[in-house]
Amino acid sequence: MPADNVKELFEQRLGRYQAAIALEPTDRIPIAPGSNNLAEVYSGNTNQQTIYDPEKWLQAEEVFMRDFPEVDVLRNNRFYAPLYDAVGCKTYSMPGRDLAPGNQIQFNEKEYMKADEYDRFTENPGLFMYEVFLPRALGEFSEAGSMRTFTAALKGGMAYMMAGQVMRNRATILEQKYGMPQPMTGAFLAPFDVLADAMRGLNGIMMDIFRQPDKVIKACEAATHEIANFALSIGDPFKRYPIFVPTHKAMFMSPDQFEKFYWPSFKKTVEILIDAGYSIRAYLEGDWGPHLHRLRELPKGKVLCDIDTPGDIYKAKEILGGYQCIAGGVDDADLILGTPRQVRDAVRNLCETVGKDGGYIISGGCHIPYDTKPENFRAMIDAVMEFGVYDASIAPKPKEVNVEKIHVSELDPQKMVTPWNIKKEELGGIQGDEQLIRGPWEQLESMAYNWIWQWVF
Amino acid sequence: MKELSESLRDLEEEKVYTLVEKYVNEKLPVLEIIDALNEGMVAVGELFSQNTYFISQLMFSAEILKGVMKKLDPLLEGQETQDARKKVVIGTVKGDIHDIGKNIATTLMRGSGFDVIDLGVDVPAENFVQAVQDTGAKVLGLSALLNFTYPEMKNVVDAIKDAGLSDQVKIIIGGAPVNEQVRKFCGADFVAADAVDGVNICKKIYG
Repeated sequence: MPADNVKELFEQRLGRYQAAIALEPTDRIPIAPGSNNLAEVYSGNTNQQTIYDPEKWLQAEEVFMRDFPEVDVLRNNRFYAPLYDAVGCKTYSMPGRDLAPGNQIQFNEKEYMKADEYDRFTENPGLFMYEVFLPRALGEFSEAGSMRTFTAALKGGMAYMMAGQVMRNRATILEQKYGMPQPMTGAFLAPFDVLADAMRGLNGIMMDIFRQPDKVIKACEAATHEIANFALSIGDPFKRYPIFVPTHKAMFMSPDQFEKFYWPSFKKTVEILIDAGYSIRAYLEGDWGPHLHRLRELPKGKVLCDIDTPGDIYKAKEILGGYQCIAGGVDDADLILGTPRQVRDAVRNLCETVGKDGGYIISGGCHIPYDTKPENFRAMIDAVMEFGVYDASIAPKPKEVNVEKIHVSELDPQKMVTPWNIKKEELGGIQGDEQLIRGPWEQLESMAYNWIWQWVF
Repeated sequence: MKELSESLRDLEEEKVYTLVEKYVNEKLPVLEIIDALNEGMVAVGELFSQNTYFISQLMFSAEILKGVMKKLDPLLEGQETQDARKKVVIGTVKGDIHDIGKNIATTLMRGSGFDVIDLGVDVPAENFVQAVQDTGAKVLGLSALLNFTYPEMKNVVDAIKDAGLSDQVKIIIGGAPVNEQVRKFCGADFVAADAVDGVNICKKIYG
């Protein structure tokens, strides 16, 4: 039944998406890839325009939604490149800046943390970030105490606020004008990936797990509370949308290594966020086959798992069916090179097998590729509409959520560089209402502290 | 020597170093030591094929080998460790700057005695053509992580054809986003499921 107003459409889409994640009945399989890259370039935009020009980005998606109104979410968590320029972030090559405008953002992996620096990290992760990691990874931060570095920090803080504003504005317009919800809001990394991605790099971390295993485990434990607090600082305040976690290095590990190094701190982080009232959308990069059963240990229906192209969606359904919702299954190569008939047959098969009893979202291998042929995307949607309907009489509605901040006893308190008690002492006492001063002080301290952690992505 | 192969296979880093040092002190022929190490690497590859080892173990075995070769290289005095007739040109195609898969494949191939010419990442088609021409390699390996590289892979295959090198060289594509459909689209000769599969294809080509 077509929605006759925007609010109803928003509620239908969000309700459908939330029901699938929660393994509850809904009207049809949601069309909810986590990263719809096609939507950004379908109008003819370059990738440079998407990351540098928020208006162009939104315009592109408007064109996409006009032609594909059946989609239930677009992508979120897009890079706002001026923030990366402001601090000279070296970990990414950007389209239009270092790469051709039509190319996509690519990660530059280097050892920004040395093999012998684990103790220093574990002892005080925030201080390590400030003293060691940021000056190495952010080019504009390289001369401590200089005017240029001071200005870069200022610009970085301001650009962070601008980026937040860009994302909020876009989400509001998509919701209020087009009835379009978000696939996720906010993001975090598994503690192991905090160390492995931007700090040690794949080669470094893989040597460390053989040569200094205990230090890696301790560092992961130390990173857990930092990254959990970071995630909570940028999650959806209304808790409608999952928090996103792209997992990167688990795919390279044996089950024993995964169990020892990756899983304990990752599980703990996810449990903290779930206890705080959130669901999670986990991009399981590569083939997670040997590790998938672990996700059954997490609360049911709270972790939406994106199965990547090298993974096996049928096996994932076997293992996670009834435990967690899964997304994926449409082959990237089919979308890019195949024919509409081929896509239709594949999607029909997915709907009739992995999608059969719910808990399934149609998607490519974690994303819809930039080079997807529009007629193939159309074929994917049409096949879901034809074969992916469960019960058209169900009118999906969003879940009622407690938006109050929930205290999680397992989570260490948010760290701050200058906690209020120290500041208060410096002030020598407060004459009026202390809370009026303390609240904003701690809010800004928290934001500044969490700002540091975004650079591990 | 069997002990050396086995300790490399079992990723016992210190033991590998100790044994190599002992053999060097005993003046055993360096090429024999290297043969034993290569045997160890082949065993690692087999364990990988059997899903006993994962990429982490492949990488660590390569790291150990690299450490040992640093000590052995100066002792070689010009002796060839790789069969100069078994050349493989490899690189990540233009537009893609990822090198993990390519590096793993390169290490395993070298461990199997191939003379690998690694062109790096973001490699334009003309550089592949030039390298195949210059070296006379019978194998060209194209690596990619990102799925927008399909047309670029095809572009390289076409450039090899246009240069009249199709009879000389077989082209293997590898990386997370490739499969049989992509191979057909590009016109490549083989698609490698993983690095070990890539080595096996090279062996087949060179007979």
